[in-house]
Amino acid sequence: MRSGALEMGSEVAKGAASGPVNRGAAVVDFFLRVFAIIATLGSAIAMGTTNETLPFFTQFIRFRAKYTDLPMFTFFVVANSVVSAYLVLSLALSIFHIMRSRAHASRIVLIFFDAGMLALLTAGASAAAAIVYLAHKGNSRANWIAICQQFNSFCERISGSLIGSFGGILIFVVLILLSAVALSRR
Amino acid sequence: MEPSHSTKSNPETAILIDSKSAKGKSTAAPAAITATTKATPYRKGGWKRGVAIFDFILRLCALIATLTATITMGTTDQTLPFFTQFFQFQASYDDLPAFSYFVVANAIASGYLVLSLPFSIVCIVRPHAAGARLALLIFDTMLLAFTTAAAASAAAIVYLAHNGNQNANWLAICQQYTDFCQRVSGAVVASFIAAVTFVFLVVLSAVALRRR
Repeated sequence: MRSGALEMGSEVAKGAASGPVNRGAAVVDFFLRVFAIIATLGSAIAMGTTNETLPFFTQFIRFRAKYTDLPMFTFFVVANSVVSAYLVLSLALSIFHIMRSRAHASRIVLIFFDAGMLALLTAGASAAAAIVYLAHKGNSRANWIAICQQFNSFCERISGSLIGSFGGILIFVVLILLSAVALSRR
Repeated sequence: MEPSHSTKSNPETAILIDSKSAKGKSTAAPAAITATTKATPYRKGGWKRGVAIFDFILRLCALIATLTATITMGTTDQTLPFFTQFFQFQASYDDLPAFSYFVVANAIASGYLVLSLPFSIVCIVRPHAAGARLALLIFDTMLLAFTTAAAASAAAIVYLAHNGNQNANWLAICQQYTDFCQRVSGAVVASFIAAVTFVFLVVLSAVALRRR
């Protein structure tokens, strides 16, 4: 019976040790989500408000650039907006995890949606990144000219909006890791 | 006081139930009972082993998908049988940096999947190995982001190649290079299948990490 009590004591000690650690992880999770909301919302707004008109014109070349001119940028704005909305909704679950460190099923649901949103965000960000790279460098083989040489401020805007999105991707990876570590402890 | 049993630290634990403590709480007989829990880990790990086997099968599928994507994109090389002064009529994957990144990323993903197969087998053999599962989950998440980035950037270029873009004066090159376009589109589809499989792998590892 003495060895049984010792074992029970060690299990209680394990539970007590992981409780505050899980709570700390849940608080970090909450703050990371807030940062991710700011990052993705900033990216969506930065890309969505692009509108540059050059002050001259000729017959052949357009002199107005907006994000809707390229469908990848539209997808980028939509993806970042969806991810921001999801993050706002998941704040509620995050607060729930701060209060109840032992919730397992809701953490798995959160990981599932986090993984899906990570995939969506990465898809949007990298598609836009491919087009931004093309806009900067062009491609001689396909005869695609680099439009950045004309539209400077448009180019700066679209390049800068990628930063927030990639930051959001990093934050999502850390969020999934945190949830997984919290799941594996008791 | 009923001592609880731990199945992890000691593979064999002796449970002693006193006649005093069995106040009708459990179905144990009032006499002192000694039982060993050596068989318990195998019984309790039933569903986790099933999850681990499914994880292994999904990993094989993802490996096939990424290998297909890498090889299909890497062997693109189409030369059109005519020429003019101004146009080049040869298309290969290294003409577009997004496609080069695609080949490299899918090759890295295939290499990682091959290396992670032993870890998956360890998780099948020992269903309670939380360390291996956590490591797999961490690397699966990073590879998910990596593979999705490669697939999406190649998809953006493929979309441009199919449709062109009037606003930027970018011509649709697929109308000339039909075979190149088909191969590249197929490679992108295979890579997206691998990315979706990675999402399921992450969720499976998370489900199996639970401690019952």
